[in-house]
Amino acid sequence: MASRRGIGSRRGRRRVKKAFELQLTSMMDVLVIIVVFLLKSYNISTHNFSNASGLQLPISGSQDNPTDSVQVIVTPEALTVENERILDFQQIALNAGSKEATYAFKPTDLDESGMRILPLYDALVKAKERTELLLAKSKKRVDGKPLAFEGILAIQADKRVKYDTIKKIMYSAGAAGYRVFRFLAMKKDT
Amino acid sequence: MLKRPSSRRKSHSEGIELNLVPILDTMVTLIGFLLFTTSFLAIVSIESPLPISSTEEVMEKLKEKPLQLTVAINEGTTEIYSVSDKIPRKSIPNTAEGAVDLKALHEGVIEVKKQFPSEETVVLAPKAGIAYETIITVMDALRGLEPTDPPIYRKNTRTGVDEPAKGLFTNVIFGNLLTGDK
Repeated sequence: MASRRGIGSRRGRRRVKKAFELQLTSMMDVLVIIVVFLLKSYNISTHNFSNASGLQLPISGSQDNPTDSVQVIVTPEALTVENERILDFQQIALNAGSKEATYAFKPTDLDESGMRILPLYDALVKAKERTELLLAKSKKRVDGKPLAFEGILAIQADKRVKYDTIKKIMYSAGAAGYRVFRFLAMKKDT
Repeated sequence: MLKRPSSRRKSHSEGIELNLVPILDTMVTLIGFLLFTTSFLAIVSIESPLPISSTEEVMEKLKEKPLQLTVAINEGTTEIYSVSDKIPRKSIPNTAEGAVDLKALHEGVIEVKKQFPSEETVVLAPKAGIAYETIITVMDALRGLEPTDPPIYRKNTRTGVDEPAKGLFTNVIFGNLLTGDK
């Protein structure tokens, strides 16, 4: 018995002396899978669209990727142009049977028979002038002339917003010199 | 001096170990970069040009008698019609849940596309109280072709060969922008 105990203790001592080795192969496997997943879902796009809190975008099956342009964010409560809140809607009444309030434009914010939104028109004209100035300073030229203002407006609207509001926004943008509207939505899972 | 047989065996069994630590460092850096820059919120867009009325163009179009396919979204129904009466007027009632019957609308539009395969434009005229979400879903139904849809062929004007259409009416224009109707 005494001799057996002696051999066992010697073996134990040998084990303690060995350096602890971390199994890196399995960790490598996990990391490779994560990298592959991220690379697969990596979306190479140049757009930089900001999002407003509480904004619920509708879902669309469109495959078109938006490019950078002047952006309007429409929530049920307010309008934002290029990250600047330009007007707040007026709360008018609570919908019957729901806790959600209804919002409308203040009469002072509208003109041209209630079709043009004045603060939006002013903000869009400013954004247009800023873009034209940047284009004039840019080195990109076509036949020696600076690139023309494309007049594209990206509209990021909450899915609950009514067409009446969208229509007024488009009317105001048209009056300010914008010719194309891009309605942004969340991509539908295929 | 000869080695003991036991020690010789040990030296042969030892393989070359790959140093995985720098590879791991690279992986972790790459994951950090990808997580920081990737956008999990995939945003798509639907383009619509501003309607422009021109007297000359209108006159020219009147000579040709264009289709001018119009889809009007009302509170309880959706109507498909042509301003020049080229197709019979179709009224699609909403579903029992009160939503636009997108399937019936899509099928109705496919029938029109079969008759006019080269036509790309549709005029959308929603009522003031229609929600933005409904407009987007209707635009999707008007623009896109599902894999289950029957193939629609259109003649390529350059080659003269029939080609399958990639979409339905991809050019959506809001027709009631300048009117103050409710």
